[in-house]
Amino acid sequence: MISAADAPRNARSPRKALAGALALGVHVLFVLLLIFGVSWQTRRPAPVMVDLWQALPEPSAQPPARPQPLPPPKAPEPVKAAPPPPQPVEKEPSPPEAPDIALEKRKAEADRLKKLQAAKAAEEKAKAEEKAKAEEKAKAEAARKEREKQAAEQKRQALLRQMEAEDMKQQLAADTAANEARMTSLSEARAAASKRQAEVASVVGRYRDQISAKVRGNTRLPDDLKGNPQVRCLVKLLPTGEVVSVRVTQSSGNPAYDEAVVRALEKSSPLPLPADRDARAAFVPELSFVHRPKE
Amino acid sequence: MTPEIGQDLSLFHLILHASLPVQIVMALLLGASLMSWWFIFIKMFSIKRAIQVTDRFEREFWGGGDISAIYQRVAGEREGAGEMERIFEAGFREFMKLRPQTGLSLNAIIDGTRRAMRATYQRELDGLESHLAFLATVGSVSPYVGLFGTVWGIMIAFMGLSSVAQATLAQVAPGIAEALIATAMGLFAAIPAVVGYNRYTHDIDRLANRMESFMEEFSNILQRQVTSKAP
Repeated sequence: MISAADAPRNARSPRKALAGALALGVHVLFVLLLIFGVSWQTRRPAPVMVDLWQALPEPSAQPPARPQPLPPPKAPEPVKAAPPPPQPVEKEPSPPEAPDIALEKRKAEADRLKKLQAAKAAEEKAKAEEKAKAEEKAKAEAARKEREKQAAEQKRQALLRQMEAEDMKQQLAADTAANEARMTSLSEARAAASKRQAEVASVVGRYRDQISAKVRGNTRLPDDLKGNPQVRCLVKLLPTGEVVSVRVTQSSGNPAYDEAVVRALEKSSPLPLPADRDARAAFVPELSFVHRPKE
Repeated sequence: MTPEIGQDLSLFHLILHASLPVQIVMALLLGASLMSWWFIFIKMFSIKRAIQVTDRFEREFWGGGDISAIYQRVAGEREGAGEMERIFEAGFREFMKLRPQTGLSLNAIIDGTRRAMRATYQRELDGLESHLAFLATVGSVSPYVGLFGTVWGIMIAFMGLSSVAQATLAQVAPGIAEALIATAMGLFAAIPAVVGYNRYTHDIDRLANRMESFMEEFSNILQRQVTSKAP
């Protein structure tokens, strides 16, 4: 007889929903981890280009500072409204447009300034921009104070304009100074390159000494050697320092001695070589080797 | 494929801009990973529960309880019973049915009981081992699927390179990066699946051993019961 109790039981349903939620959770967690992990990693090595300046470039910093002191005197004095517009092209238009109060004086002043400027530019190369900056600041400050104080005095206008002209020239000077700074940074880079060369040279010298010491240790000098004759060999090297071939390019006159040096070189294989790529270039693939019995 | 140097190579950017086959592979792998984790958790729950219930039943059975009382309890809780409890129930029910029948030898009774237990044992083992094959498949195949996606993506990246005069790393790097994501996903799907598969087959083997020894021992007990009553 077969009853319902005989029927095989189904395995009870496991907690499928919970398992599904957990599986999703694992993936969400992993993706979050990846997003944060990867975004942290990608942000770190962002390339940054740096220009080295000895001082901040003056011209770019000045224009925003300029307009501020000017407006206040403009408002109370309608006569003063003239100076601001010609400012950018001050050099040429200012003389004709200016009132005739101090034309002569101004011309003389301008001449003097030009000369002064030329002298300055010529003599001060390294410190020009610092000085210019300081002077400029001081002058801007003074100009502002004067303007505020003597807004009523029209006499001073010409003087003010002169000062502005001076400022413009100083701006130019600052420009040239910035250029000079750039030049100096360039020359610094060149200096760094030459420093690197010097480093390489010192490494090369050190290894040259090591090589000759090793060869010297392996040299068996012939008995009949007299004096301190010099042998010059051309050694072909593998990058590992292995000696491929040795050829005498300048004999000492004593064949036995030449032979001894060649043997010593072959015996010294591998020669010590610097790890630095640039320094290694002095040795591989060919090395001109000079040997003297007595150093 | 124009290389966008300096553009952010965020993960989603790479995935969204991957070529279609690579995207299909990625979707496949994501599905496989989700499924395998789902099965891993299902198996984790069910195997843990099976071990717990088996422990409890063995303690009860060997604790000297009355066999028919245990049978009553197990037969009562049909759905909540564990694997070993069901084997016990099937064997004991068969035994109870066979024993009153006259003309059956002792061996016949015990054999019948054992067959009933064996059948239930097979069924239970089958239930425990379900889905494990899927885990094994994911564990062995998904790295290859991911590798396929990667190879395809790199192929596309290099094909794009052929049209430009000057080849730079920046032109292939995004393509290779996006292609490598496929391999990463394949490994991400495969590693848990392999670990889960090994872990669960080990657990199930141990459970199966326990069930088999229980079957033998229970047969002995029943045999003793019959021989002590028969004469």
